[in-house]
Amino acid sequence: MAQGSSSEAFVEFERVQKSYDGEKLVVKDLNLSLPKGEFLTMLGPSGSGKTTCLMMLAGFETATHGEIRLDGKSINNIPPHKRGIGMVFQNYALFPHMTVGENLSFPLEVRKLGKSEREKKIARALDMVQMGEFKNRRPTQLSGGQQQRIALARALVFEPELVLMDEPLGALDKQLRETLQFEITDLAHRLGITVVYVTHDQTEALTMSDRVAVFDDGRIQQLAPPDELYEKPQNSFVAQFIGENNTLEGVVERIDATSCLVRLDDGELIDALPVNVSKVGERTRVSIRPERVESNLERLHADAHTLPATVQEFIYMGDTFRTRLKVAGRDDFIMKTRNAPDQPRLKPGEQIRIGWLAEDCRALDA
Amino acid sequence: MTDSATTPPSQPMAVLPGGEVTENGPMLAADGRPLKHSLNRALRREKLRAFLLISPLLVFILVAFVAPIAEMLFRSVENQIVSETLPRTVAALREDQNLPEAAPGEPVYEALYTDLFIAAEYKSHTRLGSRLNYESTGLSSLFRGTGRDVGRFDTDIYTDQFVEAAPALEDPVAWSNWMADDEIREALPFTADAWDAWVTLTVEANEDDPLEEDVEDFVYTALYRDFANGASPSGFPDVDVSNFESVSIKALFEESDEDWVDPDVWQVIKTYSPNYTDGYFLNSVDMMNGPGGEAEWRPESEQIYLKLFWRTMWMSMAITFSCILLGYPIAFLLSTLPLRTANVLMILVLLPFWTSLLVRTSAWKVLLQQQGVINDTLVWLGLVDDLNRLQLINNATGTVIAMTHILLPFMILPLYSVMKTIPPSYMRAAKSMGANDWTAFWRVWFPLSVPGIGAGSILAFILSIGYYITPEIVGGTSGVFISNRIAYHISSSLNWGLAAALGTILLALVLTLYWVYDRIVGIDNVKLGG
Amino acid sequence: MAGLPPYASTGQKVWHYSYLVICAAIFFFLIAPILIIIPLSFNAENFFTFTPEMLALDPEGYSTKHYRDFFTNPDWQVPLWNSLKIAPVATFLSVALGTLAAIGLSQPHVPFRRAIMAILISPMIVPLIISAAGMYFFYSRIGLQGTYWGVVLAHAALGIPFVIITVTATLVGFDRSLTRAAANLGAGPVRTFFKVQMPLILPGVVSGGLFAFITSFDEVVVVLFVGSAGQKTLPWQMFTGLREQISPTILAAATVLISISVVLLVTLEVLRRRSERLRGMSPG
Repeated sequence: MAQGSSSEAFVEFERVQKSYDGEKLVVKDLNLSLPKGEFLTMLGPSGSGKTTCLMMLAGFETATHGEIRLDGKSINNIPPHKRGIGMVFQNYALFPHMTVGENLSFPLEVRKLGKSEREKKIARALDMVQMGEFKNRRPTQLSGGQQQRIALARALVFEPELVLMDEPLGALDKQLRETLQFEITDLAHRLGITVVYVTHDQTEALTMSDRVAVFDDGRIQQLAPPDELYEKPQNSFVAQFIGENNTLEGVVERIDATSCLVRLDDGELIDALPVNVSKVGERTRVSIRPERVESNLERLHADAHTLPATVQEFIYMGDTFRTRLKVAGRDDFIMKTRNAPDQPRLKPGEQIRIGWLAEDCRALDA
Repeated sequence: MTDSATTPPSQPMAVLPGGEVTENGPMLAADGRPLKHSLNRALRREKLRAFLLISPLLVFILVAFVAPIAEMLFRSVENQIVSETLPRTVAALREDQNLPEAAPGEPVYEALYTDLFIAAEYKSHTRLGSRLNYESTGLSSLFRGTGRDVGRFDTDIYTDQFVEAAPALEDPVAWSNWMADDEIREALPFTADAWDAWVTLTVEANEDDPLEEDVEDFVYTALYRDFANGASPSGFPDVDVSNFESVSIKALFEESDEDWVDPDVWQVIKTYSPNYTDGYFLNSVDMMNGPGGEAEWRPESEQIYLKLFWRTMWMSMAITFSCILLGYPIAFLLSTLPLRTANVLMILVLLPFWTSLLVRTSAWKVLLQQQGVINDTLVWLGLVDDLNRLQLINNATGTVIAMTHILLPFMILPLYSVMKTIPPSYMRAAKSMGANDWTAFWRVWFPLSVPGIGAGSILAFILSIGYYITPEIVGGTSGVFISNRIAYHISSSLNWGLAAALGTILLALVLTLYWVYDRIVGIDNVKLGG
Repeated sequence: MAGLPPYASTGQKVWHYSYLVICAAIFFFLIAPILIIIPLSFNAENFFTFTPEMLALDPEGYSTKHYRDFFTNPDWQVPLWNSLKIAPVATFLSVALGTLAAIGLSQPHVPFRRAIMAILISPMIVPLIISAAGMYFFYSRIGLQGTYWGVVLAHAALGIPFVIITVTATLVGFDRSLTRAAANLGAGPVRTFFKVQMPLILPGVVSGGLFAFITSFDEVVVVLFVGSAGQKTLPWQMFTGLREQISPTILAAATVLISISVVLLVTLEVLRRRSERLRGMSPG
């Protein structure tokens, strides 16, 4: 699915900066390009600059520096209403004084389309979101999910090539959110539109997108397809932010191209994959996913380093077991194991040894 | 294997050199100017746009409303009428040493003669008289009477003697030539001043040509003063005045009205001769400027305003208190009822709110009369004897009843809007902890509703102390407010300065309360009609 | 308040019902004086109380003669028309200037917002007699005293706080993303204002206008001082009537005014409902 950036970039941010007060940069040097048809998600905690980026693309905020291009043309100086970008707002922003049909008709009237053509397009857009019979309702007479669908239809009715979505599912309950996630991606791929989607929900980002841009502190920390993002985080922020993660701190003892040895603060040695470290003596934070922690040492290489651990808590979760361990002085180390016949059910206080494959343990920035 | 090698080329890493360059120096906008400047410019533009939207209204309010208020404040201290009507007298009084023990000397009367003569021609002396009458009764008739006499004062002896000595002095054209000569003017200061005044008077008030009119007596009187002082300018007929028959102007005034030699009268004129005065304010609090110039209490019989202020305050408090008493149960009921029922009952509150004030006042006037519906009903019920019908109107009772009715919605609406925000779960929580109805109400609900009481009380009180219409109609004499007195001074007694001073005090009172209200509730939070 | 629980004690029951009786009495106090005017205005005699014929519901006791007087006597008709000439113009001024200013005040960066707001609201707070006195002095000086425009200007100033308050309240609840959505869908600023913003704040503007209208239509203190005989309005006529010799026609006039209030109240309630419905799930 991953489509690396290519020469025929559809949306491009080049060295874009944004400051509201002239002192603090909210967006620091953003470079990003996405090809036609891609579903890109901007993911990050609040205040990370992702919404600002979306607003700059829509034209509601102006970049203080740099250039934003759409289909090869700079749009820095084009007002929002001339950009022709569809947008789904966080709280839908459906006009409360117009019916659903009038809401959808609005962008078409602005574009001076004839009545019959408008009717045709509105009907098609409503059918697309399975809301055909709600044309004469007012937005306030609809449920949240229905309003969301109408907002989507309104953003698509004038057939923009690019659609922006600002946390569109934030106000909905979990089940409805999952249904709509699927519907949105399905629709986007069917219509072949390019989507920039903003969310702070990582599950949503991972399940919907072709690529995810993780934002923090005004920068993209990593831009990658979901699987790569999860399995190969490039720095400790991404590792912490995406999925569950165990962190241990130490100093690089030995390093070569494919592996390194890290001495943890309590003196134990572990194997790791050097990602963000380059020389001996450097401090590092190593990250291991809970499901990659192994207590059955037979599955590891014979010369792999292992650590002693004390079981603190054993939680039965049905398909998996979740064990909280005390490792290297920290008691929040999680091990996730499959509920298999040979998997022992550990008891609090039990002493075990754990280990992992060197490539599953990533040595990142401290 | 290194994962970093698979990173796409366009993917920015955590730190890029480009970002650092601009972060260290001052941030620049796209056009190369410091970003802060362009942001400030954008902000200024935004402010300007907002201001342009507001400014038409602001200008309108300043002209149509604030300027009138400022004018009123100005009028409460303004007192130019004395120095404008009697400029020479005021100047002469400043030199005079006789006051306050004795009446002033001859020069003051000579100045007054010229001033009063001119004022009588303009008919402005009566206005001055009524103005000074506010400070000391009798001055109005004094000015009026002498204003009539002043044209007939026996000063024509000077005219006759001068004309006899030098016939050229009868010719206004010759006068006009002499008075164009600066040297002569300098040598004859009183004459020059009187001549100028006469010319202006002739042109302005009588619309005549001074060159064709007989020169008035007061100019010759001034000429006599100058000559008597020893003036003998060259180019002017030299007249020896030592043998002239003379007349005391003071005596002439005394003859017109002997009050003119009363030092007290002069003391009043002197006290009120500056352009600004605290006299109206002193009057507003039942004080006055005494003969020595210090403030002192007015005689007991003239002390009415403090009493009136006090009555306005306590009656407003009584009205506010009745509003709380009647409004609280209603607001409580409305806020605890289901919304649908509450909305229906709300109409009973909003209908009076929307009904014309005059209608409500008329209703009370009709109902409270001795032959009105309430008394009729009470008599019919046998509670009141037909011959002893209750006096419910034209007194404080009438004002309190009618005003409570009129202001009640202003109490209920803020109370209701505060109470509506108190979650019912608080009362339930209190009861679950074992509180009985009363404790739950008194310890939980009531404290939470206090802001509503505060907002409603201040609003009702502010509205009440400035009320005019209702007290005027149902208040009789014992139920009127300070507002009614202000209206009386504007339209009946014409003592505008006093009206303005009373108004200023009332305004200060209201604005203080307004400020308090803004602090507690916030003017933005004023709600209308629920 | 909705009913008593089955476990209520006798004391609670007594208190509950006496509380309801007290409330009913207060409601009666609020509404009765207004309602009682209506039957009294149909009195066949020139009395201000119910005649025995009226109490006996004898048709002889009732007549519409006071209404005939109200609608034919120039003493009442001239003031009525004066009121109708002054109030709409004053309302128009208040609404036009007030709406513009309220939009300006709702912008994010307004210097001295609080002070400006305080000045604009002050005509509602300053006692009418003081406004009237100031206006009388100042308008005489600039030659507006006793003129039609003087009264219109004064009434417009008095109506402005109501427009400011109601329109600002609607703007506070206004969702900025709606204008963004309109821009995003391709509408320019002018179209956005007229198609999206205006329809949504219209209920606030109209109810502000109604308040301003009723303020001018009911106002008597300022017109007494700023106006002259040529601007005698209906409230003025009622006021003189009440102060001098009171004629029963005043009851007919009052009933007419009550009907107008009822119409206004209903209009306002409809507008409020509409506005709340428009703003949908996020009221207030």
